[in-house]
Amino acid sequence: MNDIYADKSKTLWERWQNNAKRNPDRDAIVHWVAGEEPFRWTYKNLTETAKKFSVRIAEAGVKPGDVCAIIIRHNSFFYPLYLGISRAAALPAVLAFPNPRLHPDKFRQGLEGMAQRSGLDYILTEKELEPMIRPLVEKPGSTIKAVFFPLEWDVTSEIDPKKDAEIEQISKSVKETEPMLLQHSSGTTGLQKPVVLSHRAILNHVTNLGEAFKLTENDKVATWLPLYHDFGLIACFHIPLSCGITTVQIDPFQWVLAPILLLEVISKEKATVTCLPNFAYNVLAEKIDDEELEGISLESLRLTVNAAEPIRHDSHEKFAERFKKYGLNPLALSGMYGMAEVTLGLTLTEPGKPISELQVDRNELSHGVMKPADKNSIVRVCVSSGKPIGGCEARIVDEHRKDVPDGLVGEVAVKSVSMFDGYRNYPEKTAEVVENGWYYSGDYGFKWKDEFYIIGRKKDIIIVAGKNIYPEDIEDVVNQVQDVDAGRVIAFGEEDPNMGTEQISVVAETKLTTEEDKKRIRLDILKAGMSIDMNIHKVYLVPPRWLIKSSSGKPSRKANKERLTEGTDPQVWSR
Amino acid sequence: MISVELKKVILKELNLDDFDMTDETIAPQVPGWDSLNHVNIILAVEHHFKVKFKSYEVLRLKNVGDLQKLVDSKLGK
Repeated sequence: MNDIYADKSKTLWERWQNNAKRNPDRDAIVHWVAGEEPFRWTYKNLTETAKKFSVRIAEAGVKPGDVCAIIIRHNSFFYPLYLGISRAAALPAVLAFPNPRLHPDKFRQGLEGMAQRSGLDYILTEKELEPMIRPLVEKPGSTIKAVFFPLEWDVTSEIDPKKDAEIEQISKSVKETEPMLLQHSSGTTGLQKPVVLSHRAILNHVTNLGEAFKLTENDKVATWLPLYHDFGLIACFHIPLSCGITTVQIDPFQWVLAPILLLEVISKEKATVTCLPNFAYNVLAEKIDDEELEGISLESLRLTVNAAEPIRHDSHEKFAERFKKYGLNPLALSGMYGMAEVTLGLTLTEPGKPISELQVDRNELSHGVMKPADKNSIVRVCVSSGKPIGGCEARIVDEHRKDVPDGLVGEVAVKSVSMFDGYRNYPEKTAEVVENGWYYSGDYGFKWKDEFYIIGRKKDIIIVAGKNIYPEDIEDVVNQVQDVDAGRVIAFGEEDPNMGTEQISVVAETKLTTEEDKKRIRLDILKAGMSIDMNIHKVYLVPPRWLIKSSSGKPSRKANKERLTEGTDPQVWSR
Repeated sequence: MISVELKKVILKELNLDDFDMTDETIAPQVPGWDSLNHVNIILAVEHHFKVKFKSYEVLRLKNVGDLQKLVDSKLGK
């Protein structure tokens, strides 16, 4: 058995400490900032500093089981803080740092929604956010107990050994079935679903997904993924740290402005594994100049995992072709499918093997049948997401949750040893999606020769660059735009082949008819999207009563999207 | 000061007719200019002015005025 899975710790803290004892001087985390010398946390330094944070956290009043939301930008002290919270038997919940375009009221509204739903007890953030967050904490009836600024804390001086021993004792009393962390889906209007994961779920997943990745002591992960996203937090932080290997963390904000950073890191650090949502394959393949790639070598890379949004055949092709001459092994490309409710991964294509693809008849597929394309077909290439990893089972079911034969499209149902413990304080939502130990994902796909192909979603979630967006959030703000007919707005995702992801489109009914008025209302709609940090890519304006209603009486997203993207109705104004 | 030419390139890439921009304007203030689109705007500017930026130069840009200065320096202005 591979040594990195031999550890039988019951909690994450125990596991991190064991790794620090085994390999104290090995790099745990390399904190990467463009143009600067990277900061290297060895396992020993990381856990020692985490101990100091855990004492400070306990001194501040945090109790075992309390939820600590962390809202901190790319900072080398984030990691020991996160570990320290866990050592103090509290639950870290990593949240995104607000973009400057996000309206402070909207940010507070989102945070308040999360606090009420998940019971966020403390917010650990940067001083800069104090004016935004403080009113929320002081608001009558607030469930948030306090806001702390841990980056201001002194974690250089020695800690009181007595207090340290007390916390170690608390840490040892934590059971493997107890919650370890809280993850939030995106959304701003209280639609977020807080997923609770236990130590056992995560540790099981470390072994099962780590083995599926074929991780060994020689692996090194390079990542720019944000740690508020499960793909970043589980695949690129928890898995390497639990396996005792190194993870190189790049600032997500810097990466998106300078995508070359990831390739530089892989090249300099000889990283072997990276994880990327589909759009990143397009960005890396098409948005970097040849001159910048001079000296880049991707020979060390043996695994790139594509997940968090639908895997597109073209994106893989472009990526493999572009980086062939830089030493990329095309067999390094793999695909994964999963969700936070099973910790992260459910299925994975086999590392080092070609990814299965099927050329199918698009029309038949839209009617729920996978039929190989023939000469009369409009072809859709379906990319496999692989087979279930260890400890996981998956089925395709119909609307009555009964199995359907291979090749027929249905909902993906999942069972896993790393299953979540339900949505926190949301039993009715949990009951909706979990039945007899099976989680019903709301994603559509089919099974073929033991592999799973994911083709769409039952829910109307839009996935932009790996980020899940609820159309309701956008519709809410656009509904408030002057001259938009209230309640007559829908938002949906449209494929952007150039970027390899979906983009947000909005259709709104309005009585306005002149070109000038329509341009003005379009700009107002774009600004409404900006206020919740959503970039609306395309606006369709239609006259009153144009939108098709669903049986519930609300405008139907699916029917109207089809009508808009297929039709050439002269009444539709778009830009 | 931001030139009419640079402003035109940015507005075209963002599919906007007009938008008030000064040297101090930052990307999040401009509709459509998000982090995902940033790379497209930079490529459009490079293409239009026939210049090449290094990633580290792009990372240092704080506002539209900085972008104008970078373009000018590449053009030897």
